[in-house]
Amino acid sequence: MRNNLITFLFSFIITVTFSQENSTLSGYITDARSGETVIGAKIYIPSVKKGAITNNYGFYSLTVPSGKYLVEFRMGGQETEKKEIDLSQDVRLDFEMGADFQDIEEVTVDAKAKENTESTKVGQIELSIDEIKTLPAFMGEVDIIKTIQLLPGVSSAAEGGQGFYVRGGGPDQNLVLLDEAIVYNAAHLFGFFSVFNADAVKSVNLIKGSMPANFGGRMSSVLEVNMNEGNKKRFGVKGGIGAISSRLTIEGPLKKDKGSFIVSARRTYLDVIMKAAIPDDSPFAGTSYFFYDLNLKMNYEISKKDKIFLSGYYGKDEFSFGNLDDNFQIDMPWGNGIAALRWNHIFSSKLFMNVTATMTDYQFSFISSQDQFRFKLNSGIRDWGGKVDFTYFPNTRHKVKFGLDYIYHIFTPVSVSAENDDTVFDTGEPQRLTSHESAAYILDEFDINENLRINAGLRYSMYQQVGPFTRYIKGDVSTPDTSITYKKGDVIQFYNGLEPRVALRWMLPDKSSIKAGYSYNYQYVHLTSLSAVSLPTDIWYPTTDIAKPQKGWQTSLGYFRNFLQNKLETSVEVYYKGMNNLIEYKEGAIPGDNINDNTDNLLVFGKGWSYGIEFFLKKSSGKFTGWVGYTLSKTEREFADLNDGNPYPAKYDRRHDLSVVGSYKLNKRWIFSGAFIYATGNTLTLPTSWYVQNQDLLFNYGERNSTRMAPYHRLDISATWYSKEYKEKYDKTTGETIKVKKKLKTNVAISVYNVYNRANPYFLYVDNDGDFLQGDFEIKVKQVTLFPIIPSVTWNFEF
Amino acid sequence: MRKIIYLLSIAFILFSCTKEVVIDIPGYKEQIVIDGRIETGQPPFVLISKSKDIYSPTDLNAFLNSFQSGAIVTVSNGTTSVQLTEICTDNLPPGSESFIAELLGVSVADLASVQICGYTSFDPLIAGEIGKTYNLTVNFEGETFTASTQIVQPTPFDAVFWKPDGNLTTHGYSWATLSDPAGQFDAYLWEVKRINLGADGLPKDDGFQKPFGPVFDDQFFDGLTFDFFFDNPSAYDDSISDKFRGLYPLGDTLVIKFSKMDRDVYEFMEKKELQLATAGNPFATPTNIPNNITGDALGVWAGFSPSYDTLICQP
Repeated sequence: MRNNLITFLFSFIITVTFSQENSTLSGYITDARSGETVIGAKIYIPSVKKGAITNNYGFYSLTVPSGKYLVEFRMGGQETEKKEIDLSQDVRLDFEMGADFQDIEEVTVDAKAKENTESTKVGQIELSIDEIKTLPAFMGEVDIIKTIQLLPGVSSAAEGGQGFYVRGGGPDQNLVLLDEAIVYNAAHLFGFFSVFNADAVKSVNLIKGSMPANFGGRMSSVLEVNMNEGNKKRFGVKGGIGAISSRLTIEGPLKKDKGSFIVSARRTYLDVIMKAAIPDDSPFAGTSYFFYDLNLKMNYEISKKDKIFLSGYYGKDEFSFGNLDDNFQIDMPWGNGIAALRWNHIFSSKLFMNVTATMTDYQFSFISSQDQFRFKLNSGIRDWGGKVDFTYFPNTRHKVKFGLDYIYHIFTPVSVSAENDDTVFDTGEPQRLTSHESAAYILDEFDINENLRINAGLRYSMYQQVGPFTRYIKGDVSTPDTSITYKKGDVIQFYNGLEPRVALRWMLPDKSSIKAGYSYNYQYVHLTSLSAVSLPTDIWYPTTDIAKPQKGWQTSLGYFRNFLQNKLETSVEVYYKGMNNLIEYKEGAIPGDNINDNTDNLLVFGKGWSYGIEFFLKKSSGKFTGWVGYTLSKTEREFADLNDGNPYPAKYDRRHDLSVVGSYKLNKRWIFSGAFIYATGNTLTLPTSWYVQNQDLLFNYGERNSTRMAPYHRLDISATWYSKEYKEKYDKTTGETIKVKKKLKTNVAISVYNVYNRANPYFLYVDNDGDFLQGDFEIKVKQVTLFPIIPSVTWNFEF
Repeated sequence: MRKIIYLLSIAFILFSCTKEVVIDIPGYKEQIVIDGRIETGQPPFVLISKSKDIYSPTDLNAFLNSFQSGAIVTVSNGTTSVQLTEICTDNLPPGSESFIAELLGVSVADLASVQICGYTSFDPLIAGEIGKTYNLTVNFEGETFTASTQIVQPTPFDAVFWKPDGNLTTHGYSWATLSDPAGQFDAYLWEVKRINLGADGLPKDDGFQKPFGPVFDDQFFDGLTFDFFFDNPSAYDDSISDKFRGLYPLGDTLVIKFSKMDRDVYEFMEKKELQLATAGNPFATPTNIPNNITGDALGVWAGFSPSYDTLICQP
């Protein structure tokens, strides 16, 4: 079977040689204003109906029969530019677009609009960062993750919940990449804000359907976030002052048109507000919270064929809680550090290579002290990765990608230390788990004919858990605990598997299309969560000899059609997803120490499935833009050791999920936006009965996730006012008043979150109070709501 | 991890608002609750009740009506088997009042005002002895439930003491020095009762109270000798100044009951305390408390071997 599949794939890659002589047009597309490369620009030759799209590095390659052509260059939100090119031989053309850019009062039809029907991308959505910035922002903080949660098939765990859930998959099943480096925890402030500073972001691409073979290691989705490269033409500063945070970005050329840098920083001042609000003599004077993050990127064109990029991110959250009366202090820092070094090389007009080296570090700590007692808990991950990726454009019909991925994982699931005065408690050796994850892949996107395009790929992934490691085997009443110790480098367990991926598009005569996709994925990391809401205390855990790799498959089928000359994009997609080797904690498990035990001894394993139908309608041009997304879905889990082995709804199972997003550009000065969300309430497990034991009231819980909270709905609105771009100036020489472009551009964004002050459930709990014997005992179910109506104002500037 | 959960709860409570809601909670099933215990030198005592729907009435009558009569309850220690007698608070054998009042958590004076029936035997042959295993059998409404527990070897404190906390001179925690036996599983329960007289001329506490996190095992300190402290569980009401909360004032006299238990009872007690600390809290996994009873019942059959120390709060 495997051999047949490989032969099948290569039969498409070893392509037909055309009898006619061909020439290739290739190069980079850049933005004339900043010199930055443009992702997703379209190069199109109408006379032969052939086109290409720039990749994540702005590179394109288009092979056509030799001749002279009028070539069109299209970039999102701008007029098409045309150029006549003699393609009697291969031509390298690095093209600057948008030199004559004029801000227009309405958005023109996006070059990508046709992609809705024409591409093989199933369940893939690209969002413009400008589009994201005009939407209402919670507390004035533009948030990429919150925006993608407005798309069909994507949901949040709860208000402010960390991570996002794609088509029934868990938050750990999303591959979040920042300039190709993995981000394990993409949230600040327990998930209320994402780690992505919108000022530093260039593009956002979400793949929730059929994942191409060049991506792997996760089962549900890919969120690709690419950072801005920095202006190669001139120095610039932009920033914003908001209700809870401020931002500052500085960018400029390292050498004009050759290289550039960008540095972007953000910090909240909640700690300053809390310090002012909590008196110094208050017992809680030691309580504060803040986060900060820093993005850095540099790029340099070494030669016409070589470019290097260095990207970095460092962000940290610091939460402290103090009670001076009790000499009690808790500090909880957590954060990510990410670095990526990339090298682009053009071997020829048809072969492009990217080499990436990455480092990802995520650490979480919890430090408490009370009088002489001190306790510290750490968990974290450090990854060292490398990737070589080739893109080969043999002819117009084919685009081939192949490459290798490698990651060395170092996991510290839980490491605990405790002291009491001079006594150091035995909390065991800190457990570190190390492993090698690697993959090889190949894929080909090719046109079988005018109507049928296939993207077929195969990924082969491998995983080795290696020593040093001690495996503790828990005995029962009659059997003592035992252990096995592995030395450094010992192979403890090896897993591998083939991951086929196929997506196809069939164009119908009425310019609509049908798309279908199938993907099979292995995932070698897990996220273990104790709570009904996701928190930084959730622990990442690698695949081990006990915790098997997650395996998932997804199939989807969709109908795509554009209306009104591509102004209106619509789609309907159905999907079914199966997931195996999912993990949960055993009932009542509390991970706390690592004495003679491994975290995975506390885990149970099961499976899950999800199916649904998604409707999407998007208007991306004109004064009024926006979208409506609706998902009808069901997501369940089944674990032999949980819920008596019976299937139960996943905690983020949502029957209905509706998002309506709109933005109206009144003129050059004003944009009004709104977003409405409706979602079926999340599930949770509440006690079904109470009983009394030794004078204490105890609860007994029923079926897992059998209670459903009230539906979630909310309306946010915003208005953004832009300063005039031009000022009038008297010209002494001509005696006329002329318009001069202002150096400083500003805007003020006013947002109202939760306009009608809906008390949405964050969680429910059962509260009891009083005394039976006094006759005033009560049991009540209570709902906690986080955010009422919240207005905010942010002032943004750029010069 | 418990502290993290506690901290997060506080953080979210600080920034959120709460209201009562009525929501469908499906899946209620009535179950028998067996609450039995036996301690060194004490007779076995078993209460049998039924669990109640979460939305059922919670008045005094509902509480009292949950206790069940008519069960056949037997306890054996391997050599002696005794069927327990059903006794009720309004008709107690002379001399048993203080024992029963302690178990029910009410004062002797209040015993007459509550109508609760339980099962016990004052046969000295079945009183708790260190090192013995006690088997419980309950026959009720056609079903049979069994359980087993052991009274393990106790570990008394090396010393107990009180010292002022921080810069204070008049208030402090209760401290103890413990030498944990090496190489074996040990689990402990700390309970305390203030026996000095209050303003009303009566002892400050009717019965033993449990502080926060009173149950622990020796995973962290197997074989170590160390000092540790517990707070005053009765010192948290609003009338007490913040800086004195959880502390014992100079002059209090305490009886500390420090009990040991077997692993199954510890599992029950640990999860019970966890549930009491986190019930309904979304940051903790919902915890159904495991028990050592065969059959579809709730509760526990628990053996304890307490040691008692008297601590006078003075430097």
